[in-house]
Amino acid sequence: MFEIKPIFNALCRSKVGAVLLLIQIAITTAIVSNAAFIIQDRIGYLSQQTGYPEEDIFVFHVMMFGQDVSLSQQYELDEAMLRQIPGVVDAAYSSNTPLSGSGSSSDFSLKPAPEEGKSARTSYMFIDEHGLNTYGVKLIAGRNYTEDEVIVTDNYDELSKVTVVTKTLLDELFPDGNGLGQTIYFGDIPMKIIGVIDLMKGPWLKDSRPDNVALLPFIKAGSNARFVVRTEPGQRQSVMNRVEEAMLKNYNKRVISRIRGLDEDKEQYMAEDTLMMRMLIVLITILVLVTALGIFGLTLFNISKRTKQIGTRRALGARKSAIISYFLVENAMICSVGLVIGIIAAVYLGQLLMQHFSIAQLEISYVLGTALCVFVMSLLAVLAPAKRAANISPSIATRTI
Amino acid sequence: MLKMNNINKVYQTEMVQTHALRDFNLQVDEGEFIAVTGPSGSGKTTFLNIAGMLEPFNEGQYLLDGIDVGKLNDNQRADLRNQKIGFIFQGFNLIPDLNLYENIEVPLRYRGIKAAERKRRIEQCLEQVGLASRAKHLPQQLSGGQQQRVAIARALAGEPRFLLADEPTGNLDSLMARQVMELLEQINRDGATIVMVTHDPELARRAPRNIQVVDGQLADLTLYQGTQNLKAAGV
Amino acid sequence: MFLHYLDLSWRSFKRTPLVSFLMVLAIAIGIGVTMTSLSVYHMMSADPIPEKSSQLYSVQLQIMDDGSTWWTKDNLPLQLTYQDAVNLNKADAGGKRVTMVRTGFSVYLDSDKIKPFIGQARLTTPDFFDMFNLSFLYGGVWSEQQEANAAPVVVISKELNDKLFAGENSIGKIIYLDDASYEVVGVIDDWDITTKYYDLNNGSFNKTEQLFLPFSLMKARQLENWGNTNGWKHEKTNTFNDKLNSELVWLQFWVELKTPEEKQAYQDFLMAYMQEQQKLGRFNRKQLEAKLRDVNEWMQYNNVVSEDNEILVGLSFMFLAVCLANILGLLLAKFLRRASEVGVRRALGASKRQIFYQHIVEVAMLGFLGGILGIILAQVGLLGVRQSYSYYKSLATMDLSMLLSAPVIAISTCVIAGLYPAWLVCKTNPAIYLKSQ
Repeated sequence: MFEIKPIFNALCRSKVGAVLLLIQIAITTAIVSNAAFIIQDRIGYLSQQTGYPEEDIFVFHVMMFGQDVSLSQQYELDEAMLRQIPGVVDAAYSSNTPLSGSGSSSDFSLKPAPEEGKSARTSYMFIDEHGLNTYGVKLIAGRNYTEDEVIVTDNYDELSKVTVVTKTLLDELFPDGNGLGQTIYFGDIPMKIIGVIDLMKGPWLKDSRPDNVALLPFIKAGSNARFVVRTEPGQRQSVMNRVEEAMLKNYNKRVISRIRGLDEDKEQYMAEDTLMMRMLIVLITILVLVTALGIFGLTLFNISKRTKQIGTRRALGARKSAIISYFLVENAMICSVGLVIGIIAAVYLGQLLMQHFSIAQLEISYVLGTALCVFVMSLLAVLAPAKRAANISPSIATRTI
Repeated sequence: MLKMNNINKVYQTEMVQTHALRDFNLQVDEGEFIAVTGPSGSGKTTFLNIAGMLEPFNEGQYLLDGIDVGKLNDNQRADLRNQKIGFIFQGFNLIPDLNLYENIEVPLRYRGIKAAERKRRIEQCLEQVGLASRAKHLPQQLSGGQQQRVAIARALAGEPRFLLADEPTGNLDSLMARQVMELLEQINRDGATIVMVTHDPELARRAPRNIQVVDGQLADLTLYQGTQNLKAAGV
Repeated sequence: MFLHYLDLSWRSFKRTPLVSFLMVLAIAIGIGVTMTSLSVYHMMSADPIPEKSSQLYSVQLQIMDDGSTWWTKDNLPLQLTYQDAVNLNKADAGGKRVTMVRTGFSVYLDSDKIKPFIGQARLTTPDFFDMFNLSFLYGGVWSEQQEANAAPVVVISKELNDKLFAGENSIGKIIYLDDASYEVVGVIDDWDITTKYYDLNNGSFNKTEQLFLPFSLMKARQLENWGNTNGWKHEKTNTFNDKLNSELVWLQFWVELKTPEEKQAYQDFLMAYMQEQQKLGRFNRKQLEAKLRDVNEWMQYNNVVSEDNEILVGLSFMFLAVCLANILGLLLAKFLRRASEVGVRRALGASKRQIFYQHIVEVAMLGFLGGILGIILAQVGLLGVRQSYSYYKSLATMDLSMLLSAPVIAISTCVIAGLYPAWLVCKTNPAIYLKSQ
């Protein structure tokens, strides 16, 4: 029933229209498969687990300008005050905050500097013994540090002697799994690993080692400080609303700013990727629509050009279904060639993107999936005009123009 | 073969209602060659369309080979068209994208005939119309007469028992027209029933039976033909 | 004749309104998508100081010992150490120069009228204002003398002056930054740059600072760096002085060099400087290296235009190609159906060239309509970008050049698409269409 050969021959005799459709389908396939791959990649990145109950945590920034108090004492008082606020689970002074794009990092090594040993890029945070609880991260081995182990100072002469690290960091430095209790070096300063955290992302989600984090029990109070607060679920907003007033009431020669939820910080850090994802989604949606419209329009035109021919075919005994299938088969043939070219182009474009940008190797499943969708889309786009063609009256055949 | 009883066909547009056929009655027997004439707008083409099941009618009964056409659905009508009727159009209506061979193949494919059988028939028909050497040509590479011969070959390929021709020589010069007419007569001698619409009296006269459509009704054909003959005899 | 063709085009548009509209829509969508990403790209990559961009150079020195590596593509650190920045600033070489770093303060007045807030500040040597073409609303820059003495003076932005002093001339007034008082010596006018090219460390499109103070204050008052500090070797930097004497890099340094000769001379000077420093035990490497990059090179080197945006621009143009193929197909269909009309025109004496011209005018008109509609779509797209990412607020807009280029791109795209169909129509033999049918 499918008249493949005559359709093919007929196509070969009116190439241009077919070639144009083919180009559209090929480029669409190439763009959509790559864009879909990037979108999928971004969705994975945007929805990753961070280890924190982000909706219950907020951070804020303190800038002290008064000179009449001891900073470290004042921060102790502030911490105590914050922990008393109803709805607050825990609060701590933190040298920097995670997921924000701003922090400190260094290589932690198995040998003291300047000796060269195995080392791993690590972001670190100075925070007291409340850190673990405030950030709501899970300790899976060892213990948290105690208040006695926290060094409160105004210089860097003496640093922490113990540290709690993430499992990822531990596994990188000690692949044999015997890291707990071992000593690692921050520069030439030895620190004993006393606890292991399950999952805790550092300040830079785009870092080469976003999961390598070390918490150091060390407080050097500066005029520029950050606090982190964890509240009971649902209580965060009300605590956030009160925190500036409460902090200024405790001491007023300072500025409280950037009071933000941890999830908001993360959102801001990821905003560019969110934007890229949205733009790509819009792009491919419109692109598929435009291509479908193109197929639709071209088929419509083809049909009006072939009205007489269709009437003749009907007069010669073609059923309506034969007319519909004629157009479907014709489209499917153009589409198949377009898809083959499109698949090659998609892989090539993927290679190009990988070479010039930091984009992973395009997975072939995306290309094939896209090809299938484009195929179905093109058949759907043809269906309506083809049905219209089938309704052309065979009496057209006896009409002289 | 063909029997029309009180067929009525009304074209309805927003403004006017045109009665194209009015209580139209006609019987065509197996093996006849009928020429249908009439002034333009009289309903010739409507008659042809209804006879060929290209158009539905409003009232009446139409039996083709004993089958009540009015009771068939679209697919059944398409199949019946395909099997029993061969069409020859004034404008030839060859499909420009297909070569001669493929053009003749069109109705055979719709009938689901096997490739080998198709080949045999197409070659035979091309032979019959004298264009066997041109099978791979495209329609626009042929003259009008040749195109019409291809169209006839296409109509014949399905081995129809009933051939409908709509001004088959309307677009042709007289020499070509004569050739086409001779071809039709040959086909009729081979057993096919032919109904030919034409406005050319000379051509009509060559058909054994003439009917005239006037204002959507059949005029008295024997009388008409008798008068013509008398005139011709110079009475 | 042009107007006549335009009239014919418009009639043709009305004769097949659906298909004509589809074509205009296809162009409009293509232009809308392309212009959205191109506008952002254009704003990101635009030369922020065109009259001087090839005379201002950012200076990079290869301070690392042999064997150490940096993450930049040419292995050069992006900033300078304190020692080098101060030395280069002091040396008698090159034109105007500036050493600077970002910091910040709590800002307040002697009254309770204004709640203390955080102000972004730049510690800089005085040539900054002249080099980067800043103009003063009131007052002016601090003197060399004040720079040398670390005088407590400040230049503020118009925005800050509006906030603190309601826009009045505030020269001589006192503002408090952290725990100290500073005298306002100048108010600069609005500084409209979308790209913060002079310091790309912490977000290329952040706002410029509101406070500008003498660079010497940093050492005198041990002010903190709010930008990036990076190191390449292990050093003890426990005190502020340790940091000043370390190999940590954290300062930006620019020099103004008006001619290629001046640039070459300065390049030579930098090599000589590094050789001098080698005697002091620094720059332990065989191959000394210093790099001068002008503003545009610097922006490119720092990847100011995000990778994502480049990908989007590339994909958008491919998108436009799809629209082009789309339009071409529709045009072909539309024009060829008109072949008999063309046959009549040809028979009545129209030349091929006139037929061709008529059809090109028609596609140009479609392109123009599509371009206009495309601008509207692009505005919607840019609005979406701004809504999604407030950081791009100043970038996701169309400037005049983009507004003008939209119809130009649309029309040229359409004309390219229309060439083949128009050629096909005008070359068809009129006789064929007159005889048959």
